[in-house]
Amino acid sequence: MSSIAFRRRAQLAILLGPVSLFLAVFFLGPLAIMIVTSFLAPGLYGGVEWTWYPHNYGRILGFADPMFEDFDPVYIAIFLRSLKIAALTVVATLFVCYPAAFCISRLSDRWKNFCLFLITLPFFTSLIVRLFIWVLILRQTGLVNEVLLGTGVIARPLELIYTDGAIILGMVYVFIPFMFMPVYASVEKLDWTLVRASLDLGAGPIRTFLRIILPLTAPGIAGGAVIVFIPALGNFVVPAILGGAKVMMLGNLIEQQFLAARNWPFGSALAMMVMTVMLVLLFIHVVVSGRRGFDPATGH
Amino acid sequence: MKIFATLARGSLIAYTALFFAFIYIPLALIAVYSFNANPVNMMTWTGFTTEWYAQVLGFKTTISENALYLESTSQLVEALWNSLIIATSTTAISTVLGSAMAIALYRFDFFGRRFYRVVMFMPMLMPDIVLGIALLIFFVNSGINLGLTTIIIGQCTFLISYVFIVVTARLAGMDRTLEHASADLGANEWTTFRKVVFPQLLPGIVGGALLAFIISMDDLVITYFIAGVDVTTLPMFIFAMLRRGIKPEINAIAVMMLTFSFVIASLGLYLRSRQK
Repeated sequence: MSSIAFRRRAQLAILLGPVSLFLAVFFLGPLAIMIVTSFLAPGLYGGVEWTWYPHNYGRILGFADPMFEDFDPVYIAIFLRSLKIAALTVVATLFVCYPAAFCISRLSDRWKNFCLFLITLPFFTSLIVRLFIWVLILRQTGLVNEVLLGTGVIARPLELIYTDGAIILGMVYVFIPFMFMPVYASVEKLDWTLVRASLDLGAGPIRTFLRIILPLTAPGIAGGAVIVFIPALGNFVVPAILGGAKVMMLGNLIEQQFLAARNWPFGSALAMMVMTVMLVLLFIHVVVSGRRGFDPATGH
Repeated sequence: MKIFATLARGSLIAYTALFFAFIYIPLALIAVYSFNANPVNMMTWTGFTTEWYAQVLGFKTTISENALYLESTSQLVEALWNSLIIATSTTAISTVLGSAMAIALYRFDFFGRRFYRVVMFMPMLMPDIVLGIALLIFFVNSGINLGLTTIIIGQCTFLISYVFIVVTARLAGMDRTLEHASADLGANEWTTFRKVVFPQLLPGIVGGALLAFIISMDDLVITYFIAGVDVTTLPMFIFAMLRRGIKPEINAIAVMMLTFSFVIASLGLYLRSRQK
């Protein structure tokens, strides 16, 4: 008996040993080092000094090291703006996906699968290419301006790119599958007999939507909101391409600290802020959805 | 009342049509304009040409005499090579490690199983910039030179999760009675695994590998941080090009990349749909 137990342990060790070692060293290790770095002092010429230095967080939150620098509210402003853009992205993505999810959930199986395939497909194509297309559409000599100028609707090109709106548009375009899948999953499970009952009992369509449909699909909306909000908050590619130099988000600020300013502890502290927001959101989500465990693949 | 219902239905369908238009019209636009002959303004149509494709593929064209273009084409080829080398290596490593992890977590009950699940879902939720800088700090501190090796290691940390999820889904859908039958008929564990479990698992593993391959080819953020100064991948090349200013052949590159990932993704999704 014990030889069977031993064999199973050996099998488990072979299966799990290498991957555990790999992830411990190259995934959890780096994250731990980043957390430590966020509490260390920046060195004079880049690099890190091994002294306790909570002022990296202070620079963001308002207790900067009085010896060296004054508190600059620009970082908290960038943080708040990133939260705002991420929140608007969630709302916009939801408005784009929610009605479509209803329509697709009522199609025949063949069409349903085809539509889901069409929605997932862009997720597998190059992110940078999908964003680049919007540069061509929105920029000063882009498609929209060319068409509007050519038809005489406007006299001067509109400033479409390098705005908050352009960033949100780009994010919505990229994050559609993230929102659609969890929303669709709960819309498809919706019990339509309840909707019919509500209508039969005299509730109007708006009331039925607010009291029946919305609460029943809320788990999908919440799941989609979480998995869109988190990557949107820390996103750096979309603002770098569609935001230009004018609109800075947390992601650009972090990149700058690592590749230009070379203040790694401060950059790590900023990344920790993103992680904190993420953990708080996940915690709320898990508590609210009744500790059912969170599966990011479906958002439930 | 009936009119309202029809109206609501109609507008819902119209909305969904718009939804798909929003997703696919930009992709169609880039495909059309990649044949635009205008070398200055890419969005003003002046005529049909395949020059940009010829240019990217390295054929002699009328524009290739321009030295600037030539240089960027050789850089492009190098970036493409790097991406292929990286994607092939990461696919091999992460497919083995991710599948092993999936089998271990599905078939064995052991202390810390939940912890492993959490670790597997972490890279999917974490903004990739966080993992990118964490890896950068780690590699620089441990004295490993940034380059192909660090990119391969870095990408594997999150690709393992993707493979894990696809293979786990496959495991969950498998019929275990066949295994019991195999054991009852006298096959030992190894034979059962080889002849019964593995063939059933294979579509999941292939699906996971394809997914890992295209995600690796496409990864920008994490690669960007740990690539160092000498190595450029395809997405990094395009990113740099976008920051410097756009040249028309980028359209042709984009369309070829889209076609490539469409083919691989369709293949992967087809394999997955056949499992059921």
